[in-house]
Amino acid sequence: MKESMISVGIDIGTSTTQLVFCKMIIENTASAWTVPTVKIVDKEVLFRSDIYFTPLKSSDVIDAEAVKQLVLKIYEQAQMQPEAVDTGAVIITGETARKENAKEVLEMLSGLAGDFVVATAGPDLEGILAGKGSGACAYSKAHSCTVMNFDIGGGTTNVAIYKNGDVIDAACYDIGGRLIKVDKQGKIDYLSEKVKALSAKMALPLVIGQMADVKDLKRITDTMAEVMVSIAERRNGAHIDLPSAQEILITNHDLKTFDPIEAVFFSGGVADCMIETTKPWHTYGDIGFLLGESIRIAFEKTKVKAVHADETIRATVIGAGTHTTDISGSTIHYDRALLPIQNIPIIRLTELEEKSDSKARVEAITSRVKWFISQSDQSLMALSLRGHKSYGFDALQALASDIVKGMRAVIEAKLPLIILVDQDLAKSLGLSIRGNLSPEYPVICIDSVSVDNGDYIDIGVPVADGQVVPVIIKTLLFGY
Amino acid sequence: MRLKTSLFGQVYTFGSVKEVLAKANEEKSGDKLAGIAAETVTERVAAKEVLSHLTLEDLYNNPVVPYEEDEVTRIIYDDLNRVIYNEIKDFTVGEFREWLLDDHVTGDMIKRISRGLTSEMVAAVTKLMSNLDLVYAASKIRITAHCNTTIGEEGILGFRLQPNHTTDNLDGIMVSLMEGLTYGIGDAVIGLNPVNDTVESVYNVLKMFDEFKRKWEIPTQQCVLAHVTTQMEAIKKGAPSDMIFQSIAGSQKGNEAFGITADMLQEARELVLKQGTSAGPNVMYFETGQGSELSSDAHHGADQVTMEARCYGFAKRYQPFLVNTVVGFIGPEYLYDSKQVIRAGLEDHFMGKLTGIPMGVDACYTNHMKADQNDIENLAVLLSAAGCNYFMGVPAGDDIMLNYQCTGYHEAQTLRSLLKLKPIKAFEVWMEKMEFVKEGKLTNRAGDASVFMK
Amino acid sequence: MNETNLKSIIEQVIRELNVADEPSKANVSACPLNETTCDVPEITAYEMENYFEVPSAENKDAYLNYKKSTHARVGIWRAGPRYTTQTMLRFRADHAVAQDAVFTDVSDELIEKYGWLKLQTAVTNKDEYLTRPDLGRIIDDESIALLKAKAKASPRVQIYISDGLSSTAIEANGYDTYKAMEQGLKSHGIEVGTPFFVKYGRVPAMDHVSELLGAEVTVILIGERPGLATGESMSCYMIYKGKVGNPESLRTVVSNIHKNGTPAVEAGAHIADIIKRILSEQKSGVDLKL
Repeated sequence: MKESMISVGIDIGTSTTQLVFCKMIIENTASAWTVPTVKIVDKEVLFRSDIYFTPLKSSDVIDAEAVKQLVLKIYEQAQMQPEAVDTGAVIITGETARKENAKEVLEMLSGLAGDFVVATAGPDLEGILAGKGSGACAYSKAHSCTVMNFDIGGGTTNVAIYKNGDVIDAACYDIGGRLIKVDKQGKIDYLSEKVKALSAKMALPLVIGQMADVKDLKRITDTMAEVMVSIAERRNGAHIDLPSAQEILITNHDLKTFDPIEAVFFSGGVADCMIETTKPWHTYGDIGFLLGESIRIAFEKTKVKAVHADETIRATVIGAGTHTTDISGSTIHYDRALLPIQNIPIIRLTELEEKSDSKARVEAITSRVKWFISQSDQSLMALSLRGHKSYGFDALQALASDIVKGMRAVIEAKLPLIILVDQDLAKSLGLSIRGNLSPEYPVICIDSVSVDNGDYIDIGVPVADGQVVPVIIKTLLFGY
Repeated sequence: MRLKTSLFGQVYTFGSVKEVLAKANEEKSGDKLAGIAAETVTERVAAKEVLSHLTLEDLYNNPVVPYEEDEVTRIIYDDLNRVIYNEIKDFTVGEFREWLLDDHVTGDMIKRISRGLTSEMVAAVTKLMSNLDLVYAASKIRITAHCNTTIGEEGILGFRLQPNHTTDNLDGIMVSLMEGLTYGIGDAVIGLNPVNDTVESVYNVLKMFDEFKRKWEIPTQQCVLAHVTTQMEAIKKGAPSDMIFQSIAGSQKGNEAFGITADMLQEARELVLKQGTSAGPNVMYFETGQGSELSSDAHHGADQVTMEARCYGFAKRYQPFLVNTVVGFIGPEYLYDSKQVIRAGLEDHFMGKLTGIPMGVDACYTNHMKADQNDIENLAVLLSAAGCNYFMGVPAGDDIMLNYQCTGYHEAQTLRSLLKLKPIKAFEVWMEKMEFVKEGKLTNRAGDASVFMK
Repeated sequence: MNETNLKSIIEQVIRELNVADEPSKANVSACPLNETTCDVPEITAYEMENYFEVPSAENKDAYLNYKKSTHARVGIWRAGPRYTTQTMLRFRADHAVAQDAVFTDVSDELIEKYGWLKLQTAVTNKDEYLTRPDLGRIIDDESIALLKAKAKASPRVQIYISDGLSSTAIEANGYDTYKAMEQGLKSHGIEVGTPFFVKYGRVPAMDHVSELLGAEVTVILIGERPGLATGESMSCYMIYKGKVGNPESLRTVVSNIHKNGTPAVEAGAHIADIIKRILSEQKSGVDLKL
C-alpha cells in the first residue's frame, strides 16, 4: 500500500507572497504479519510558484481580495483543483501578521484552499518551518550536531535551533531587508518603529523624506549583523558596541537555550542578497543588499561555520507545505461523518490524575471539563491522556467508563467525544468508550499524537484506506 | 560393495548406501524426526564401519537424490573433474579420512582433490571424523575469495556486521553499524537481514550503507539479505550492492521451497557482475543449515549432514564470496542441544572447506534449545582454531530481529588476540587509521559509536 | 508538529541525564540474607534504550538519540575486549527469562480463573513438544471428547489460546487480547464460540480444531519463540474454514503482540476488524489483501 496526500503551503510575507504544492507519500512501513504502521515516508515539492509582491491596500492593510485572486491564479498555473488538496498551511509571516486584517485574510484563504487547509501564524513557528525548509533541521540530524537557522525576511529574522534533528529553541528579531525603504533617488520612504528606536540610540540622522547616507544605513545593518553573530555565538550581545541593540531588536522573546552552535544556515530573501553583486545597493528600494553584505562580512570574520541552504527565499513556504501535517497512529477509532474537524482545544490530565483511582480520576476529568467550559464558554474539546503500554482489558474498561462519566458535560451538550492518547491504544479505548454509550454516539479516539494543555488540533479526512487521519497540532508553547 | 558388518557378535545389515550414510551420522534430533537415525549407539558405529569400507566410487554411484530427478545432483555431477575423480575413486572412505589427516598432505593437495569429490563423499568422510579431526583437517584448507577485499587468507578471521533491526529503522541500523565497526566487525561484509522484503527497503538500506562506506572510506563489501528476486529488482533500480545473497538447500525441491532455481542464481550472478558495485569476481553470498530440507519435506529420505554437504556442492557452481551455515537457528527438533550444535558447526565448516568454498559459520542458538552463550563461545574458539573464514557480529550477541543469539561484537578482538588472528588486511589498516586499534589492542575509541556521529 | 513540543524534549533530556548519570554500578550493597525484598537496583529494571556506559563518548547526546531507535545492546562498553559484568549478567538474566518462557507451563489457576476449557495435543511432555512438531498438531482423544461435550458446535468464530513456544506470552497477553477481540466482534454483531486453552500446541493444531468444531473462522493466540528480551511476544493466526494439511499461506497472521510491540488490547481490537473482513470476503491468508 502506498498513497499520497497533496499539501499546499501559502506564505504571505511582509513583502512577498508565494505558494508551493507538495506530495507526501504515506505507506505502511510494518511487515505484512504485524499491525500496520502507516507513516509519511517521503515528501516531494510538486510546484513552486513565482514570488509575487504581497498586495497591500496601504502599508498596514493587506488587500485580502487581491491576495485571493493571486492565490487562485497560482492554483490555475499549477493545474491544481482546491478539492485535490488534502492538507496544508497558510502562514502570514513577518510584520504582516501583526497587521489588523491578517485574520480576515487567513479565513478567506482557509475556505479557498482545499477542504483541510489550516491558517496559522506566529514568528516562532515560521522560523521552525523555515529551518526545515532550508535543510538546517535535516543537517543537524545527519551530522549529529546543533544548527541555527536564520530566516532573514523583509521585516523579521526568525531564528530556530535544531539539535540532532529536533527543534530545541526558536526566537524572532526585528532584522530585515525592508525595515528601511528608499525611493529611486535614495530618499527614505519608511522606517520601522524598531529602526527608529535603534537609530535614536545610535544618534543617526535617519528621517523619512530625507536622503539617506549609505554610511548611516550601513551602521544600522552592521549592527544588525553583529547582533546575529552574537546570537550565533551565544554571547547575548556582550561584544556589541551597543549592547541594548539586541534587546531592541527582539520581536517577542529571546532564545532560552545555550547549546553551542556548530553550523548556521541562512534562508529568506536576504540570504539571496549575501552574494557579492555589482547592482546598486537600492535596487529593491530597501536595505536588503546592505544587510546581506553586512551579514556576509560579519560571519566571515567569525569561526561559525556557514552551510549552504537547500532553499533560501522559499524555505518557509516549503517548510509550511511539508512539515505542518502529521498522521495519527494506525489503529484508531472514529466516526467518519465527524471529519474533518478543526481547532479543537485540548485538555490534558496529569500523570498523577490518570493513575489515580476511579473516583479521583472521574473528579479530575469533571473539574477540568467544567473549568474549560467556564473559561471558554464552549463545550467542544478533546481530552488527552498518556496511557501506558501494558493496559489490561479490565483496566481499560475502567478508564473508558471514567472518561464517559467525567465528560458528562460534553455528552449532555451532545457534542462528539474526542480522545487523544499518547500510547498505541486508541482503537481498543475507542471501542471500550463506545460500549458505555449508545451505539450511534459520535466518538473519535486517536493515538500517537503528542499534545498539551492549551494546544489545538485539527483532524482531517481519513487516508490510507481509512487507517489513519492527518492531524495538525497548533501548539502555543512558543508563545504565539 | 558390502552393506553388512558385525560388532561384538551381532550382525548389522543396511539396505542402501543412503541408509548407511544416515545411520553413520552422529546423533541428531532431525534424523530421528525423519525416522532415519541409527536405533542404537552400536548400530551407529556399525554403520560407520560399513561406511569406512565403501569406496568413493560406491558413493559416486549412489547419490542420495537421483541425477535425473534433481538439478542439485546434476550441477554437482556436471561440474566434477573426471580426471581427478578417476585418481581417487578407489579410495575407501576410511582411507580418504587418513589421507586428509596425513602430515604430507597439504591444503593445496586437498583443494585439487576437491574438484573430484561429490557431496556424498564429502559427507561420508565427515561421518568418520571426530570433532578434533574436523578441526585439524579443516585448518589445513584455506579457501580465499575476492569481492572488494580478500577473505579466507591464513591468519585472518573476519566478521560479518549484522546490524538487524525489528522494523528496519535506519537510525537503529546505523547505530549498530557504527558501533560494530569500532570493534573491528564488518571486514567480511556489512549485511542486514531485512524485516521488509521489499525493493524499496533493500534500496534504502544499500544506499545508506554505500554512502556511509564512501564517507568513511571503509574497505569492505555490503549486502542486504532479502530474497534474491527482491535484490535483483533493487539492483536494476540502481541500488549499490556488492553481492547477492540467497538461502539455499541441498535438493531442487528444497530450493523450490525457498523460491529459487539454479537458473535464477545464475542470472543473479550475471546481474551483479554487470550492475553491482564490487570488484569481484566472487559476488555471491549463501546461507545454509542442517535440517532445512527436512523442514520443507525435501530431504528425499537422506540425513541432514549429507543434504547439507549438497548445499555446498551446489553453492560452488556460483563461486561465492561468502557461505555460512546458520548452525543453531533451526531449533531443537533438528539439533537438540549444544552438543549437537557444536558438532554440526564443526561438520559444516569442514565440509564447506573440503568442497572448496570460502566457509564461515553463524555460531548461534535459539531460546527453545538447550544451549547458552558459553556453548557458542566454545564453538567459536574451536572454529577459529579450524581456520573459519568469518563469524557474525551482532551487538552483545543478541539479534533483536531474528530473535536468536550468536557471536557478539566483543568476540572479534577476543578471538583474534587469543589465537593470533587479524582482520582482513585492508580493513585492519583502516582500523588503525581510525585509531580503533593500536599495537593489536583496542583503543578508547573502540566501543564509542559516536566517533562516526558527525 | 510533535517535535515542537519543547517542554517534553527538555523533560526527556533531563530524564535521560538522570538515567545516564545514575551510578549503575556503584553503591550496590548486598541484600541481607533473611529478607525477601531489598532496595538494590535491579539489573533487569532498566530499558536497554536508556542504558549507556561509554565513558567520555565523543558525542553522548547524539549517541543517546540514536539509541532511542533500537533495543540493540549498543553503548554498553567493555572490560578489555570482553563484556562488562553488568552487561554479561543482564544478558544471562534475559536468557534465563526467555528459557523460562519456553520450558514452563501456563499456570492452571490462570486458565481456571479465565474459565477456559483445558485441552491438550498428542504431546505428553515439554521435551516431546520440542522434538515432535507433528504431535503438537493433533488434539488428543480426551480433549476431543471434552470439546464435543462442552464447546459450542459450528460457531462463526472460534478463538482459542495455546502456549506454543512461550507460556509467558500467554500469561501476559492472552486474556487481554481475547477479551478485546470479543468486544470488537460483539460490536460488529459477530458471535464467538466457547474459549479454551490447548497445552503443547503448534499452529497447525488450529486446522484440527477447525475440523472438529466446524467453525467458519478459527483463530489461535499462541506464544512466539522468545527473543532475548521479548519472551512475552504472542501471535494470532486466523484461517477461513481450515482443514488439516492446508498450506500455511492460507493463514492470516498478526505477530509481535506484547507491551513493547502492539499492546495486547489494541491488537485484539485490530484483529476483530480483520476477522470481520475474513468473514465478509470468505477467505484468509495471502488471498486476503489487508
